[in-house]
Amino acid sequence: MSQIMNPPSASRIKVRPSSEREGRKDYISIRDYGFWYGQKKALDAISLDIPERQVVAFIGPSGCGKSTLLRNLNRMNDLVDDVRHEGDITIGGRSIYDAGLEVISLRRRVGMVFQKSNPFPKSIFENVVYALRVVGVRDRSVLDEACETSLRKAALWDEVKDRLDDSALGLSGGQMQRLCIARAIANRPEILLMDEPCSALDPIATGKIEELIHELKDQFTIVIVTHSMQQAARVSDRTAFFYLGKQIEYDTTEKIFMNPSQAQTEAYISGRFG
Amino acid sequence: METSDKKADSASKSRFDVSPMTLAADRWMGRLIRCGGVGVVLAVFGMLGFLIFQIFPLFSGAKVKVAAPIQFPADAVAFGEDEYGEMPFACLADGSIIFQRAQDGSKVLAWAPQLSGRRVTAIRSYPRSGMVLLGLSDGSVEELKVAYHSNFDAVGKRTLEPVVTASEPIQVGQAGSPCLDLWNAKGLSARLIVVQQTVAGKAKLTAVRQTERKGLGGKAKITTSEPFGVGAEVADFERVLLPSTADAVVLIRKSGEVRVYAEAGDNFVFSQSFTPFQGTADHHVAAAGMIFGNVSIVFVNGTGEQQVWSIYPQLQPDGLSQRRWGQIHEGEKLAGAGLGVYAAEGNKCYLAATEGLLQIHNMTTGSLRWEGAAPRFAIRQLAFAGNYDRFTALDVQGVLHRWELVDHHPESSWSAFFGKIWYEGASAPAYTWQSSAGSDEFEAKYSLVPLFYGTVKGTFYALLFALPIALTAAIYVSQFLRPEFRQVVKPVMEIMASLPSVVLGFLAGLWLAPLVDTRIVPLLCAVAVLAPAAIAAGFIWSALPQPWRRQVAPGMEFLWLLPFVVLCGWLAWISGPAIEAFFFTVKDSSSGLPIADIREWWRQSTGASYDSRNSLIVGFVMGFAVIPIVFTIAEDALSNVPNSLVSGSLALGASRWQTVWSVVIPTAISGIVSGVMIGFGRAIGETMIVVMATGNTAVMEANPFSGMRTLSANIAVELPEAAAGHTHYRALFLGACCLFLLTFVINTLAEILRQRLRERYKVV
Ligand SMILES: Nc1ncnc2c1ncn2[C@@H]1O[C@H](COP(=O)(O)OP(=O)(O)O)[C@@H](O)[C@H]1O
Ligand SMILES: [Mg+2]
Repeated sequence: MSQIMNPPSASRIKVRPSSEREGRKDYISIRDYGFWYGQKKALDAISLDIPERQVVAFIGPSGCGKSTLLRNLNRMNDLVDDVRHEGDITIGGRSIYDAGLEVISLRRRVGMVFQKSNPFPKSIFENVVYALRVVGVRDRSVLDEACETSLRKAALWDEVKDRLDDSALGLSGGQMQRLCIARAIANRPEILLMDEPCSALDPIATGKIEELIHELKDQFTIVIVTHSMQQAARVSDRTAFFYLGKQIEYDTTEKIFMNPSQAQTEAYISGRFG
Repeated sequence: METSDKKADSASKSRFDVSPMTLAADRWMGRLIRCGGVGVVLAVFGMLGFLIFQIFPLFSGAKVKVAAPIQFPADAVAFGEDEYGEMPFACLADGSIIFQRAQDGSKVLAWAPQLSGRRVTAIRSYPRSGMVLLGLSDGSVEELKVAYHSNFDAVGKRTLEPVVTASEPIQVGQAGSPCLDLWNAKGLSARLIVVQQTVAGKAKLTAVRQTERKGLGGKAKITTSEPFGVGAEVADFERVLLPSTADAVVLIRKSGEVRVYAEAGDNFVFSQSFTPFQGTADHHVAAAGMIFGNVSIVFVNGTGEQQVWSIYPQLQPDGLSQRRWGQIHEGEKLAGAGLGVYAAEGNKCYLAATEGLLQIHNMTTGSLRWEGAAPRFAIRQLAFAGNYDRFTALDVQGVLHRWELVDHHPESSWSAFFGKIWYEGASAPAYTWQSSAGSDEFEAKYSLVPLFYGTVKGTFYALLFALPIALTAAIYVSQFLRPEFRQVVKPVMEIMASLPSVVLGFLAGLWLAPLVDTRIVPLLCAVAVLAPAAIAAGFIWSALPQPWRRQVAPGMEFLWLLPFVVLCGWLAWISGPAIEAFFFTVKDSSSGLPIADIREWWRQSTGASYDSRNSLIVGFVMGFAVIPIVFTIAEDALSNVPNSLVSGSLALGASRWQTVWSVVIPTAISGIVSGVMIGFGRAIGETMIVVMATGNTAVMEANPFSGMRTLSANIAVELPEAAAGHTHYRALFLGACCLFLLTFVINTLAEILRQRLRERYKVV
């Protein structure tokens, strides 16, 4: 357990620039992906590669399909009735629709943080170790350690270490969202999906979460949906811009914000629509 | 310019003003709602108040008022009176009878017997039957009948006219020797007269029996037996008790030994002897009295200890059961030596007199109904009125003391309702509910304990059946089933909830019970196999390769589960007879051949009964009434768990079941508890199903194959026949009150639990 979990200090100190971080360039690979809710086509011909251990931001106006794409990465959309897809998504070279792949193991690999924080009505501790309990970890010392490590990574440890047994519902909004992040990383997924994690938070809490994303990208491949251009610019290495279910542009964040190749992208980031 | 300003001003004012109508409506609705709330609380407490008002008299004891005494001549030795105590009479030592009006003590009539030279040497009066026996100096007995005729004068005023008729003396005792004391008992067909004389310096009892035989013309023919001796071997007896059945004579000796002589043909022969106060310091029986019903005697010794002995079936050393005397109660110790025990008429109460104190006790429950000061002079004779509303005593000074008694519920007490009571005729103390029977001498038994037991038992079986089904169904429907099906299942369940319970009871009692009676083993097998089959189906399903499973949409797995479970159930059902033959083959008691019959097997191997309308049937059908309620509420609670929590759990890699178990159920637990409690309340108060689907016998056994009687069914069955204000009626109300309190307590506890859980698992 501990060998897989990096010691908290190491992960907090070292923040390497993106170029230095090696890893597969097509770690997550989306190919000609289309997605339907019933008759309604929500995504159309999406093709993009997400490199390992980088932060990729999805931006675009409301309803353009950012969440849909994100939720397809861990197949959360399977829960919706009457959905259909075309094309393929692979993670580490293996299709997520592979018949031999259990959805559950996919989700253990691809963690998720939701727009609205959704702590379980349990203690802080039980929230954090939920994913470990689910895989059958019973050893209290392992749970304790995982709890502390993830809370530290989520920069929440100092605030809650004295009340781990209190209900998670007593936390503030920003704390709850960080708790959800701690919960999502407790069982060490490889990929972390975040769907507008800061949309309900005040600027200070938002700042903390952004800082956190910076620190986490050392270990996780992070895909974040955001409607805040500044946030995308601040936290991400690469940015994808969607419009009406189509992928308009996907490039390094620098390129997208400084020198977008598409007029629509330009119009969007300069605030002319959205 | 100015006007437009003003206009805007006034417009803005009216725009932001709140209309008085809105305020008034708000205020009135607030008041109305408050009234409604207070009304509900008042209704509940009013109901409780009404119940308590109905049961209060049960526990209030007897009230006694002393009426004005009547002075008779000082040599009065016995008394009698009419039904209403308006005109008592006294028998003087010479056998003459004086009637006086109770109202003012005025003398109405003096009557003297025609004795033709003989003297009166003993007198005994039986006030309730208007019989006076005169023992004469020649050993014969003359019977006097005292009757009262009511006459109505011109203005309709009633006057009583006493009439005394004397009959021919009967020679009972040895001729020539005076009769010193005498007793009479008149049973249904026989009459016994016993006289005491002193012959050769020793006390001797002689008796005659008169038997009445209806002749052809309806004319009664009375035959009088030859005099015969009773208990000739004992001369030191102090007291003689005759049960009014005239079939026994009980002698109590100075030593405290009690000897019973029972009728055997034309004679009375010794049958049993016992010494009540054997184990105590004072063996001497200072007072004794036979209780109404003629099977129990209350003994009091010189230190005030009381014992009740009764005839009941006892197992003899030879293995046979025989009716013999045995002690059934240890009464409360009296303040001093017993001076007299006088039984009431029509119930099991008696008055025990001690120095200066009179106490009315109930023999069965041992409760003290009343106590009060005794007259100053010793009591010669005391008698209760036939309807237990008065008692009258003659003291040695010729004063007739009279008490008016109000005691509507002599047989009630806490121990009667909740305690284990040794009733007359029973072989051991028991909790019994038996409110009515054919005979007048029957003592009603009002123990609520078997009803409580039946209520809990019925509820237990109903919940045992209903809760697993209702809760698992709620979980399945809310969490796993596809919404299309869910929209069908819920309304169907709600229709099921609205099925009148009388219909369910009718089906249970008249269709299901007879149907299941011969097929209980297949049925139990089929039911027992359902849950394992469902689990097995799940295992097989999860072991199937992923591509196969993909073929079935999530939420449609039941398409595979249902046929599988039904198949397993059917297999269990058809193999039921084989299982019955294998495990439950017994020898038929009548033919001696082996038969496969679980009912017979159950009777023989456990000794317990097997009723076709048994707890399983009740549980099964009552379960049907409970399932929809629990299901609906639990399903709502489970469906209301925010979807974000479910997604959150699934996104963490939890399986659907893990999500349900560790997130959905804890979050919905307070709603689930409410559902369970409401189902519980329904089961505990359920009436018609229990009335119709059980035999309604108030038995107290855990046996699943016997019936039960619940508090609610008891009320439904018996209230129509209970006389308002009678003990029975109030006992039913007491049952209702207990039911009310039971549900009140349980619901309160559940509500506290629910609040706690809600506090713990509340969702933001
Ligand atoms: N569960 C669903 N069922 C049907 N349509 C959906 C569902 N979720 C999203 N959509 C539709 O898909 C489109 C994309 O939605 P979404 O991915 O949530 O957009 P975004 O996150 O970019 O605002 C929208 O038009 C939305 O109405
Ligand atoms: Mg969205």
